[in-house]
Amino acid sequence: MASESSNSARKVVVHLRATGDAPILKQAKFKIGGTDKFAKVIDFLRRQLHRETLFVYVNSAFSPNPDELVIDLYNNFGFDGKLVVNYACSMAWG
Amino acid sequence: MNWDGTLSSSEFRIAALAFIEKWNRFISTSPPQWSWALSPKRPWIAAHEAEGYLLLENVFLPGSSEEDHDQVNDRGKQEPSCSGQDDTIDSTILVQSHHDEMHRYDFHIVYSMSYKVPVLYFRGYCSDGQPLVLNDIEKDLPGNSAKLLMESKWTFITQEEHPYLNRPWYTLHPCGTSEWMKLLISTDASRDKHQVEFENYLVSWLSVVGQVVGLRIPFEMLKDSGSCS
Repeated sequence: MASESSNSARKVVVHLRATGDAPILKQAKFKIGGTDKFAKVIDFLRRQLHRETLFVYVNSAFSPNPDELVIDLYNNFGFDGKLVVNYACSMAWG
Repeated sequence: MNWDGTLSSSEFRIAALAFIEKWNRFISTSPPQWSWALSPKRPWIAAHEAEGYLLLENVFLPGSSEEDHDQVNDRGKQEPSCSGQDDTIDSTILVQSHHDEMHRYDFHIVYSMSYKVPVLYFRGYCSDGQPLVLNDIEKDLPGNSAKLLMESKWTFITQEEHPYLNRPWYTLHPCGTSEWMKLLISTDASRDKHQVEFENYLVSWLSVVGQVVGLRIPFEMLKDSGSCS
Protein backbone atom coordinates (compact mmCIF):
# COMPACT_ATOMS: atom_id res chain seq x y z
CA MET A 1 0.00 0.00 0.00
CA ALA A 2 2.73 2.45 0.97
CA SER A 3 4.50 2.03 -2.35
CA GLU A 4 1.38 3.24 -4.14
CA SER A 5 1.37 6.59 -2.42
CA SER A 6 2.94 8.42 -5.36
CA ASN A 7 0.46 6.79 -7.68
CA SER A 8 -2.59 7.71 -5.64
CA ALA A 9 -1.49 11.33 -5.31
CA ARG A 10 -2.14 11.86 -9.01
CA LYS A 11 -5.24 13.45 -10.44
CA VAL A 12 -7.90 11.51 -12.24
CA VAL A 13 -9.95 12.82 -15.16
CA VAL A 14 -13.63 12.08 -14.57
CA HIS A 15 -16.00 12.16 -17.52
CA LEU A 16 -19.63 12.69 -16.49
CA ARG A 17 -22.15 11.17 -18.86
CA ALA A 18 -25.88 11.88 -18.58
CA THR A 19 -28.31 9.04 -19.20
CA GLY A 20 -32.08 9.04 -19.56
CA ASP A 21 -33.59 12.45 -19.00
CA ALA A 22 -30.74 13.74 -16.85
CA PRO A 23 -29.52 17.20 -17.88
CA ILE A 24 -26.15 17.35 -19.61
CA LEU A 25 -23.53 19.38 -17.77
CA LYS A 26 -21.71 22.25 -19.47
CA GLN A 27 -18.51 20.95 -17.97
CA ALA A 28 -18.67 17.22 -18.42
CA LYS A 29 -14.99 16.60 -17.64
CA PHE A 30 -13.17 17.51 -14.50
CA LYS A 31 -10.08 16.54 -12.56
CA ILE A 32 -10.20 15.18 -9.07
CA GLY A 33 -7.55 13.99 -6.65
CA GLY A 34 -7.01 10.23 -6.71
CA THR A 35 -7.15 10.06 -2.94
CA ASP A 36 -10.58 11.67 -2.89
CA LYS A 37 -13.54 9.46 -2.23
CA PHE A 38 -16.16 8.75 -4.85
CA ALA A 39 -18.61 10.59 -2.58
CA LYS A 40 -16.96 13.80 -3.79
CA VAL A 41 -17.96 13.02 -7.38
CA ILE A 42 -21.55 12.41 -6.25
CA ASP A 43 -21.58 15.64 -4.26
CA PHE A 44 -20.25 17.53 -7.27
CA LEU A 45 -23.05 16.16 -9.42
CA ARG A 46 -25.67 16.96 -6.80
CA ARG A 47 -24.50 20.55 -6.60
CA GLN A 48 -24.29 20.97 -10.37
CA LEU A 49 -27.71 19.47 -11.00
CA HIS A 50 -29.39 20.81 -7.85
CA ARG A 51 -30.76 17.40 -7.10
CA GLU A 52 -30.54 15.39 -3.93
CA THR A 53 -31.39 12.05 -5.48
CA LEU A 54 -29.19 10.81 -8.26
CA PHE A 55 -28.31 7.40 -9.50
CA VAL A 56 -24.59 7.26 -10.25
CA TYR A 57 -22.90 4.27 -11.85
CA VAL A 58 -19.74 3.14 -13.57
CA ASN A 59 -18.99 0.82 -16.47
CA SER A 60 -22.72 0.34 -17.08
CA ALA A 61 -22.52 -2.39 -14.53
CA PHE A 62 -22.45 -1.20 -10.95
CA SER A 63 -22.90 1.68 -8.56
CA PRO A 64 -19.67 2.39 -6.66
CA ASN A 65 -19.69 2.70 -2.90
CA PRO A 66 -19.23 6.39 -1.95
CA ASP A 67 -16.29 5.36 0.24
CA GLU A 68 -14.23 4.01 -2.66
CA LEU A 69 -11.17 6.02 -3.63
CA VAL A 70 -11.31 7.62 -7.06
CA ILE A 71 -7.86 6.24 -7.93
CA ASP A 72 -8.97 2.69 -7.16
CA LEU A 73 -11.98 3.08 -9.43
CA TYR A 74 -9.80 4.58 -12.14
CA ASN A 75 -7.22 1.79 -11.90
CA ASN A 76 -9.90 -0.86 -12.20
CA PHE A 77 -12.49 0.69 -14.47
CA GLY A 78 -10.86 3.63 -16.19
CA PHE A 79 -9.89 3.61 -19.84
CA ASP A 80 -8.44 6.10 -22.33
CA GLY A 81 -7.02 8.04 -19.39
CA LYS A 82 -10.35 8.78 -17.79
CA LEU A 83 -13.03 7.38 -15.53
CA VAL A 84 -16.48 7.52 -17.10
CA VAL A 85 -19.24 8.12 -14.56
CA ASN A 86 -22.86 7.82 -15.71
CA TYR A 87 -25.65 9.59 -13.90
CA ALA A 88 -29.43 9.45 -14.07
CA CYS A 89 -32.11 11.29 -12.17
CA SER A 90 -33.91 8.19 -10.99
CA MET A 91 -34.22 7.45 -7.33
CA ALA A 92 -32.77 4.30 -5.92
CA TRP A 93 -35.24 4.23 -3.03
CA GLY A 94 -38.73 5.68 -3.21
CA MET B 1 -39.53 -4.14 -26.83
CA ASN B 2 -36.76 -3.05 -24.54
CA TRP B 3 -36.04 -4.95 -21.40
CA ASP B 4 -37.85 -3.48 -18.39
CA GLY B 5 -35.33 -4.36 -15.69
CA THR B 6 -37.27 -7.27 -14.24
CA LEU B 7 -36.70 -11.02 -14.29
CA SER B 8 -38.84 -14.11 -13.94
CA SER B 9 -38.52 -16.46 -10.98
CA SER B 10 -36.60 -18.99 -13.06
CA GLU B 11 -34.28 -16.24 -14.31
CA PHE B 12 -33.79 -15.22 -10.69
CA ARG B 13 -32.67 -18.74 -9.91
CA ILE B 14 -30.19 -18.69 -12.80
CA ALA B 15 -28.91 -15.31 -11.64
CA ALA B 16 -28.64 -16.53 -8.05
CA LEU B 17 -26.64 -19.64 -8.88
CA ALA B 18 -24.30 -17.64 -11.13
CA PHE B 19 -23.88 -15.13 -8.32
CA ILE B 20 -22.97 -17.81 -5.78
CA GLU B 21 -20.45 -19.33 -8.17
CA LYS B 22 -18.87 -15.92 -8.74
CA TRP B 23 -18.85 -14.96 -5.08
CA ASN B 24 -17.17 -18.21 -4.11
CA ARG B 25 -14.61 -17.80 -6.86
CA PHE B 26 -13.57 -14.32 -5.77
CA ILE B 27 -14.15 -14.52 -2.06
CA SER B 28 -13.21 -18.11 -1.46
CA THR B 29 -10.86 -17.44 1.41
CA SER B 30 -13.02 -15.53 3.81
CA PRO B 31 -16.48 -16.37 5.01
CA PRO B 32 -19.32 -15.52 4.93
CA GLN B 33 -20.51 -17.21 1.77
CA TRP B 34 -23.76 -16.86 -0.04
CA SER B 35 -25.76 -20.00 -0.49
CA TRP B 36 -29.04 -21.08 -2.02
CA ALA B 37 -31.79 -22.16 0.33
CA LEU B 38 -34.70 -24.17 -0.93
CA SER B 39 -37.94 -22.73 0.28
CA PRO B 40 -39.97 -24.82 2.67
CA LYS B 41 -42.50 -26.94 0.85
CA ARG B 42 -45.84 -25.26 0.56
CA PRO B 43 -48.57 -27.67 -0.50
CA TRP B 44 -50.74 -24.99 -2.07
CA ILE B 45 -48.06 -24.05 -4.57
CA ALA B 46 -47.33 -26.26 -7.54
CA ALA B 47 -43.94 -27.88 -7.06
CA HIS B 48 -42.99 -27.74 -10.72
CA GLU B 49 -39.94 -25.71 -9.88
CA ALA B 50 -37.63 -25.65 -6.90
CA GLU B 51 -38.23 -22.28 -5.34
CA GLY B 52 -35.65 -20.74 -3.09
CA TYR B 53 -33.69 -17.71 -2.01
CA LEU B 54 -30.13 -16.57 -1.44
CA LEU B 55 -28.81 -16.30 2.06
CA LEU B 56 -25.75 -14.87 3.79
CA GLU B 57 -25.81 -15.30 7.53
CA ASN B 58 -23.79 -14.43 10.63
CA VAL B 59 -22.28 -11.31 9.14
CA PHE B 60 -20.62 -8.87 11.51
CA LEU B 61 -21.22 -5.37 10.31
CA PRO B 62 -18.49 -2.88 11.11
CA GLY B 63 -19.51 0.28 12.88
CA SER B 64 -21.63 -1.28 15.57
CA SER B 65 -18.84 -1.48 18.12
CA GLU B 66 -18.54 2.11 19.27
CA GLU B 67 -22.15 2.54 20.27
CA ASP B 68 -23.42 1.71 23.66
CA HIS B 69 -26.22 -0.71 23.06
CA ASP B 70 -27.40 -1.48 26.53
CA GLN B 71 -30.74 0.10 25.74
CA VAL B 72 -31.42 -2.90 23.58
CA ASN B 73 -32.70 -4.94 26.44
CA ASP B 74 -35.06 -2.22 27.60
CA ARG B 75 -36.63 -2.13 24.21
CA GLY B 76 -36.83 -5.86 23.84
CA LYS B 77 -40.54 -5.99 24.39
CA GLN B 78 -41.27 -3.57 21.59
CA GLU B 79 -39.94 -6.02 19.07
CA PRO B 80 -42.87 -7.89 17.54
CA SER B 81 -42.56 -11.34 18.93
CA CYS B 82 -42.21 -14.19 16.53
CA SER B 83 -42.43 -16.93 19.08
CA GLY B 84 -46.11 -16.41 19.67
CA GLN B 85 -45.75 -15.93 23.39
CA ASP B 86 -43.50 -13.54 25.19
CA ASP B 87 -42.51 -16.20 27.66
CA THR B 88 -38.97 -16.23 26.33
CA ILE B 89 -38.36 -12.78 27.79
CA ASP B 90 -37.21 -13.57 31.25
CA SER B 91 -35.60 -10.71 33.11
CA THR B 92 -33.27 -13.04 35.00
CA ILE B 93 -31.45 -14.01 31.85
CA LEU B 94 -31.11 -10.52 30.42
CA VAL B 95 -27.48 -9.62 30.63
CA GLN B 96 -26.34 -6.07 30.08
CA SER B 97 -24.67 -5.62 26.74
CA HIS B 98 -21.00 -4.81 26.63
CA HIS B 99 -19.55 -1.84 24.88
CA ASP B 100 -17.63 -3.99 22.47
CA GLU B 101 -20.50 -6.22 21.54
CA MET B 102 -20.83 -6.85 17.84
CA HIS B 103 -24.12 -7.23 16.07
CA ARG B 104 -24.66 -10.07 13.67
CA TYR B 105 -26.81 -9.82 10.58
CA ASP B 106 -28.58 -12.28 8.32
CA PHE B 107 -29.25 -11.27 4.72
CA HIS B 108 -31.68 -13.02 2.41
CA ILE B 109 -32.30 -12.16 -1.23
CA VAL B 110 -35.82 -13.19 -2.09
CA TYR B 111 -37.58 -12.96 -5.42
CA SER B 112 -40.62 -10.72 -5.37
CA MET B 113 -43.48 -12.11 -7.43
CA SER B 114 -45.23 -8.76 -7.54
CA TYR B 115 -42.27 -6.56 -8.50
CA LYS B 116 -40.40 -9.28 -10.43
CA VAL B 117 -37.08 -8.21 -8.93
CA PRO B 118 -34.88 -9.47 -6.07
CA VAL B 119 -35.64 -7.98 -2.65
CA LEU B 120 -33.27 -7.83 0.31
CA TYR B 121 -34.60 -9.07 3.64
CA PHE B 122 -32.42 -8.77 6.72
CA ARG B 123 -32.39 -8.98 10.47
CA GLY B 124 -29.85 -8.14 13.13
CA TYR B 125 -29.30 -9.53 16.56
CA CYS B 126 -26.99 -9.33 19.53
CA SER B 127 -24.66 -12.13 20.50
CA ASP B 128 -27.25 -13.36 22.98
CA GLY B 129 -29.78 -13.75 20.18
CA GLN B 130 -31.82 -10.71 21.11
CA PRO B 131 -33.21 -9.24 17.86
CA LEU B 132 -32.37 -5.63 17.05
CA VAL B 133 -35.06 -3.05 16.48
CA LEU B 134 -34.76 -0.54 13.65
CA ASN B 135 -33.36 2.17 15.90
CA ASP B 136 -30.44 -0.09 16.76
CA ILE B 137 -29.95 -1.27 13.20
CA GLU B 138 -29.85 2.34 12.11
CA LYS B 139 -26.67 2.86 14.14
CA ASP B 140 -24.97 0.01 12.29
CA LEU B 141 -25.83 1.31 8.82
CA PRO B 142 -23.50 3.51 6.77
CA GLY B 143 -24.06 7.27 7.16
CA ASN B 144 -25.85 7.65 3.85
CA SER B 145 -28.43 5.04 4.73
CA ALA B 146 -29.16 6.55 8.11
CA LYS B 147 -29.81 9.84 6.36
CA LEU B 148 -32.10 8.21 3.81
CA LEU B 149 -33.92 6.45 6.58
CA MET B 150 -34.69 9.75 8.27
CA GLU B 151 -35.97 11.29 5.05
CA SER B 152 -38.14 8.47 3.85
CA LYS B 153 -39.05 6.49 6.88
CA TRP B 154 -41.84 4.43 5.40
CA THR B 155 -40.71 3.69 1.91
CA PHE B 156 -37.07 2.78 2.42
CA ILE B 157 -36.69 0.16 5.14
CA THR B 158 -39.84 -1.44 6.43
CA GLN B 159 -40.66 -4.48 8.47
CA GLU B 160 -42.52 -7.17 6.61
CA GLU B 161 -43.20 -10.83 6.83
CA HIS B 162 -40.45 -12.93 5.31
CA PRO B 163 -42.17 -14.67 2.40
CA TYR B 164 -40.73 -18.07 3.26
CA LEU B 165 -40.04 -17.92 6.97
CA ASN B 166 -43.26 -16.10 7.93
CA ARG B 167 -41.53 -13.94 10.49
CA PRO B 168 -41.02 -10.19 10.57
CA TRP B 169 -37.80 -9.19 8.80
CA TYR B 170 -36.63 -5.81 7.63
CA THR B 171 -36.74 -5.21 3.92
CA LEU B 172 -35.73 -2.59 1.37
CA HIS B 173 -38.59 -1.37 -0.71
CA PRO B 174 -38.22 -2.64 -4.30
CA CYS B 175 -40.38 -0.19 -6.22
CA GLY B 176 -37.41 1.58 -7.83
CA THR B 177 -35.34 -1.54 -8.47
CA SER B 178 -36.30 -2.32 -12.06
CA GLU B 179 -35.63 1.29 -13.09
CA TRP B 180 -32.02 1.35 -11.93
CA MET B 181 -31.40 -2.24 -12.95
CA LYS B 182 -32.31 -1.18 -16.47
CA LEU B 183 -29.53 1.38 -16.28
CA LEU B 184 -27.00 -1.06 -14.88
CA ILE B 185 -27.61 -3.99 -17.17
CA SER B 186 -28.70 -2.45 -20.41
CA THR B 187 -27.54 0.90 -21.63
CA ASP B 188 -27.74 -0.36 -25.15
CA ALA B 189 -31.24 0.53 -26.26
CA SER B 190 -31.27 -2.12 -28.92
CA ARG B 191 -30.83 -4.90 -26.42
CA ASP B 192 -34.01 -6.86 -25.85
CA LYS B 193 -34.96 -9.18 -23.05
CA HIS B 194 -33.55 -12.28 -24.65
CA GLN B 195 -30.06 -10.88 -24.74
CA VAL B 196 -29.92 -9.73 -21.15
CA GLU B 197 -27.19 -11.48 -19.22
CA PHE B 198 -28.80 -12.59 -16.02
CA GLU B 199 -25.51 -14.00 -14.74
CA ASN B 200 -24.47 -10.48 -13.82
CA TYR B 201 -27.82 -9.26 -12.59
CA LEU B 202 -27.23 -9.89 -8.89
CA VAL B 203 -23.71 -8.47 -8.83
CA SER B 204 -25.03 -5.20 -10.25
CA TRP B 205 -28.04 -5.35 -7.96
CA LEU B 206 -25.92 -5.91 -4.86
CA SER B 207 -23.63 -3.02 -5.78
CA VAL B 208 -26.61 -0.76 -5.07
CA VAL B 209 -28.38 -2.65 -2.31
CA GLY B 210 -25.15 -3.54 -0.51
CA GLN B 211 -24.38 0.15 -0.01
CA VAL B 212 -27.46 0.51 2.13
CA VAL B 213 -26.45 -2.18 4.61
CA GLY B 214 -22.67 -1.95 4.30
CA LEU B 215 -21.98 -5.05 2.19
CA ARG B 216 -19.07 -4.53 -0.18
CA ILE B 217 -18.31 -6.28 -3.45
CA PRO B 218 -14.63 -6.62 -4.41
CA PHE B 219 -13.48 -4.86 -7.57
CA GLU B 220 -12.32 -8.12 -9.14
CA MET B 221 -15.86 -9.40 -9.05
CA LEU B 222 -17.27 -6.18 -10.49
CA LYS B 223 -14.66 -6.20 -13.24
CA ASP B 224 -15.61 -9.71 -14.16
CA SER B 225 -19.20 -8.58 -14.60
CA GLY B 226 -18.50 -5.39 -16.50
CA SER B 227 -20.42 -5.08 -19.71
CA CYS B 228 -17.89 -4.40 -22.39
CA SER B 229 -19.04 -1.42 -24.37
